[in-house]
Amino acid sequence: MKKLIYIIVGFFTLLILGYGLRPTAYDSAFDIDSFSELPVQVGGRIKPIDSVARNTLLILSARQKVVTPEGEKLSPIEWFMDLTMRPEVADTYRVFKIEFPDDLGLAGLAEQGQRYYSFNDLLPHFEELRRLHGEINPEPKKRSPYEQQIADLNDGLMLYHRVMHSLHPVGDAARLDSLVDEYQTYTSLIGPGLAELRKQQAGEDYDAKILNAFIFFGDEYLKLSKTAYLSLVPPPAPVDPLEDWKNIGLELLDVMRGDALSPYVTSYAALTMSYRLDQPETFNTEVAELRQRFIADFPSQIGRVHYERVFNNLQPFYLSMQLYVLVFLIVCASWLRWPKEFGTAAFWVLLLAFVIHTFGLVSRMYIQGRPPVTNLYSSAVFVGWGAVLLGVFIEKFYKNGIGAAMASLVGFSTLIVAHHLAMSGDTLEMMRAVLDSNFWLATHVVVITFGYSAMFLAGALALVFGILGVFTKGFNKETARSLSGMVYGITCFAALFSLVGTILGGIWADQSWGRFWGWDPKENGALMIVVMAAIFLHARWGGICKERGLMALAITGNIITAWSWFGTNLLGVGLHSYGFTDSGFLWMMGFVLSQLVFIGLVLLPYRYWRSEFGREKNLKDRKRILIAAEESEEASVS
Amino acid sequence: MIGPFKFFSSLKLTVVLLAFSMMLIFFGTLDQVQYGIWHTQKLYFESFFVVWSYPEQAANYDKLFWLHIPMPGGYLLGGMLFINLIAAHITRFKMSWKKSGIFLVHLGLILLLVSELMTDLVSEESQMPVNEGGRSNYSQGYRDNELVFIDRSHPEHDTVHAIPVELLKPGSTVKVPDSPLSIRTVNYYPNAELGRSQAGPVDSPADQGVAVKMAIVVNPKEETYAENAINTATAFIEVLGPEGPIGTWLVSNVIDDRFPPQMVSVGEQSWEIAIRFTRHYYPFEVELIDFKHDKYPGTEIPFNYSSEVMVYHNDSTKNQKALIYMNHPLRYEGLTFYQASFANQDTTSIFQVVRNPGWVLPYVSVLLMGLGMCVQFGIHFVKFLGKQRA
Repeated sequence: MKKLIYIIVGFFTLLILGYGLRPTAYDSAFDIDSFSELPVQVGGRIKPIDSVARNTLLILSARQKVVTPEGEKLSPIEWFMDLTMRPEVADTYRVFKIEFPDDLGLAGLAEQGQRYYSFNDLLPHFEELRRLHGEINPEPKKRSPYEQQIADLNDGLMLYHRVMHSLHPVGDAARLDSLVDEYQTYTSLIGPGLAELRKQQAGEDYDAKILNAFIFFGDEYLKLSKTAYLSLVPPPAPVDPLEDWKNIGLELLDVMRGDALSPYVTSYAALTMSYRLDQPETFNTEVAELRQRFIADFPSQIGRVHYERVFNNLQPFYLSMQLYVLVFLIVCASWLRWPKEFGTAAFWVLLLAFVIHTFGLVSRMYIQGRPPVTNLYSSAVFVGWGAVLLGVFIEKFYKNGIGAAMASLVGFSTLIVAHHLAMSGDTLEMMRAVLDSNFWLATHVVVITFGYSAMFLAGALALVFGILGVFTKGFNKETARSLSGMVYGITCFAALFSLVGTILGGIWADQSWGRFWGWDPKENGALMIVVMAAIFLHARWGGICKERGLMALAITGNIITAWSWFGTNLLGVGLHSYGFTDSGFLWMMGFVLSQLVFIGLVLLPYRYWRSEFGREKNLKDRKRILIAAEESEEASVS
Repeated sequence: MIGPFKFFSSLKLTVVLLAFSMMLIFFGTLDQVQYGIWHTQKLYFESFFVVWSYPEQAANYDKLFWLHIPMPGGYLLGGMLFINLIAAHITRFKMSWKKSGIFLVHLGLILLLVSELMTDLVSEESQMPVNEGGRSNYSQGYRDNELVFIDRSHPEHDTVHAIPVELLKPGSTVKVPDSPLSIRTVNYYPNAELGRSQAGPVDSPADQGVAVKMAIVVNPKEETYAENAINTATAFIEVLGPEGPIGTWLVSNVIDDRFPPQMVSVGEQSWEIAIRFTRHYYPFEVELIDFKHDKYPGTEIPFNYSSEVMVYHNDSTKNQKALIYMNHPLRYEGLTFYQASFANQDTTSIFQVVRNPGWVLPYVSVLLMGLGMCVQFGIHFVKFLGKQRA
């Protein structure tokens, strides 16, 4: 039996791993992997085109795949190639996610049950959309959900348009099929064109045909320089990594000043032509050449860019999320039968998930060259990681599955939160000047975020106490004692890390603004966690609260931590509207309500508890009442 | 143990006080949306008592406008916690190794409370803008104002006679220090709006200076506490010489050096009269050699602001060169200079100048508390491990 359980668990684990890590073999003769690794400069760093494709698609579709009208599934990079190189095809793909198409106010757009629309679907409604967009509240924080939807759609269309124009000018098929010739015509026209222009301005006779052709290109590329989304063209070697890259349009314009046209520009044009003509060999040699050029120009960057692409493909957080679910299920099974075998299996799967989680965390650190927590997204990843780390230790000591179950629960939930936070675009963004200090990011931010982890884990364990205590028969004194022990221990950790983290933050503030403490919302949030932990510890030491009172306090800790983590950001978001319309606010309220329900649950009178523990307590209470009654009787008799 | 002593040293009181603190911090955060940080800080954390009321901008105000929650303020809670802590240590605490950690944490906490109170009471913040290539020997506040009489007759330096605006009470007379002048405040407005009258001369107490020449109208306004907003302190001041009244001037911190100076003369001597942000003069000059503002390539995201400065002290042995940048302030003569802001297309650097004699205390208290926690939980943890093995 024992072996069979391990085999079953191993089978499911391998299934998840195998499915997640299957190589992305593109059904194509084109070297898509190499293309996806070509470099662009976005948000202050060099990254692979693959990341741009993914982030753009996340913003438009809130997912990382596209389904063509033929039902074929495309990866983000395949979609990106179609968008830039075969726009006429890409325009038929449904990539614009509209949550409530019926409410949009665009008559005739909405299809029953369809939340995804293509560019061509939207095309007939542009006039109307522009009118509606003109009417919405210009202040983004004061928009209604409806207005926000209009704004998002409008922004999405703009982004789509700009990304489409990233690699070269876009026009009809004839133009796209002869881009290299177009550039040649243009470069050979610059000398004569400028000469004719000078003649015209001097009032002499000039060749109108040459001049007009020249001016046509000038206009086109000026427009392109304003539209093109990506900075694809590095400055000529030797390259300073801090120098700005140009977009295609700007590079083409600057040729007029006598600069040579960058070979990157012609290479991208050649790529498009061979892709459109279905010539994989030409495409692949061109990609290889581009790549070699980049390696020669940026020998120190290629490793990182390559790694980022691989990291994108692996999606380690997605993988560990699935494993956390598996852990939770195994633990639940262990509570029904074969606790020892299932428990051991759960522990090892949890460890595996944790290793993968850690791998993702470390990978991000390598790509960004930063400590793990730099923004809200990465804090979510880290909170989960920290909770799982603590959970692994608890499981190691207590071996009853509770640590593993709650670690996987917190790990999974925080990764879900992170997943939703990622919808806004790049999660590896640069740090503003005041935050640009690896020392403080590595100490204050990491320590305080670990404090969040501990608070959440303690809260989650307290939830278990309530649920098992009220609903299950088997929950006895020993389990109750070991659970309270866990909650207490983890809260001690939380107190230590929150306090040290908060004070480190104070010192950082003193270093950068000249005040140790400024009562700003984020600081206050951190302080509230410290105070919450202090209340818990003092209430325990003073015997003011017994088991379930302490559990209620630990669950309150969840609310306080969520407030400190997200609530304070909501305040900043809706400075005047309190961010009430923000979906984040609703989630926050939902979470708070759920925790209040659990607090109510643990505070339920013992006579409603089904567990052994509850019944004993109930008996004791009654006995105490009886004794007290007898005593008062005796007292009145005597 | 005697009753009140028992009460003040009890752990129950600690928990209650902490719970109230949490409530105070929470509402003190919420109200920042309405009042800004500075004012909220005064209302909640530097007070003994505060009442939170349902904010007008929030949803359902018409139904919930009656909602008011009174609670103890920061000084009261801080003070009570302080007493509670001291009393507990006197009555219940027996020094032992087992409790050494807790003792250290509490000592650190006491120090932190003291340092925070000290910061509230004695620290001063002001700003010093310096142009590239220029020098400055003063910084100015951005909330406090002063009424000044400046004697510019000396070729080397000016003599400034300053009166804090807090002394400008309508009707009262104040002697201008070290001068033959005194002033009588006709009116003082902490905040006002100044404009030019379109309808010719205005009915105004002023009979001298800019107010008359430009027909300026003064509309008093409510004082503002918002971030980045400035109060326009404005007053009508009657100046009295040795032989009686000289005239009445309109002065305001918006009537600054963009306007011709308003002069008060007695015989040969003359003074410029003005209200301006309170200035702090120093025995040294800060020269800005170079200001740098770097951005990440291809973006507008700043990654560095830095100012290269040279400080020239009257006592030249104290001269010092320094680079002030984010997270790296210059500590000099009991003052700390921070890179706060910049202006004029990156040619002016603005420093935050802070005098906080207690700035070291938090550092010490951090060490104590961190150490204490590690000791305390370390002891617990070792004990726990021992139990697990047994």
